[in-house]
Amino acid sequence: MLNWFKKRKNSGKALSNDEWVEQLTPPPAEQAVAKLRMILIRGLKPALYKYVDRELDQFVEDTTQDALLKILDKVHTFRGESKFTTWAMKVAVREGLSELRRKKYNDISLSDLVANDDESGRDEINQMSFTDESPGPDRATHERMILQKVQKMIDEELTDKQKTAINALMMHGIPIEVVAEQMGTNRNALYKLVHDARLKMKDRLMAEGIDPDEMLNQL
Amino acid sequence: MKLTQDKLKSMIRMVKMTLDHEIGCDDCYDQLHEFAELELQGKTPEKAMPSVKEHLERCGNCRQEYEALLKALEAVAA
Repeated sequence: MLNWFKKRKNSGKALSNDEWVEQLTPPPAEQAVAKLRMILIRGLKPALYKYVDRELDQFVEDTTQDALLKILDKVHTFRGESKFTTWAMKVAVREGLSELRRKKYNDISLSDLVANDDESGRDEINQMSFTDESPGPDRATHERMILQKVQKMIDEELTDKQKTAINALMMHGIPIEVVAEQMGTNRNALYKLVHDARLKMKDRLMAEGIDPDEMLNQL
Repeated sequence: MKLTQDKLKSMIRMVKMTLDHEIGCDDCYDQLHEFAELELQGKTPEKAMPSVKEHLERCGNCRQEYEALLKALEAVAA
């Protein structure tokens, strides 16, 4: 009873981190939840408006609701390195952007990307393949050589999973969490897989005495 | 999808920027709220938390979340 009274009494002023944690620890105080909800909505609207083409208000409401559930579930993990509301806003922003990415790439299939690229990629290399305006003959030769070099590195150094990931992330610009889900893994593991791929390519360049800056200058 | 000069350049740049040790998305996310607050306070989070900064330079998704978080926090502070 006293606890409930304390929770209600503090409803008017800004809450300290300890107060937030206390009032949101199950069973959460209604007013604290309502207060946090307003803060999240106020932040999410400007943060997400450029990614949402219509019904921003509804999307923000839905995101806030989902985020609140996650926040209440994880409130005990808050370690106090920032304001509580900053930490909570981080959860809400991820919730919103993750949902937007899922919706945008709902129909994507990584296997379709690979099937479409496999042959066309090689034809590109053979035909001095850049799609922008044709360079002069010497430059075109240099560019084709670089393409061939990079393609060879990819073929020889990377695993099939790494090639799939690189193709989706770098060539097609698909968000890492979408690719991770399609590959049956998580974002963190996929980042590490790609990091390993980049390391292999960097080591290969070094082993062949190739300076990446020089490569870039020739393109 | 046709390979473009820009995409090849982008890939070479990413390879060039690769560090032997990079934190993953989970570690970055764990520290992102702290990093964002330091930034908004006008401090230099890249000095206090360089591995987070390095990750944000290399991971588009995390960078997008960080920029959105900054916007959200600025709106709430206004």
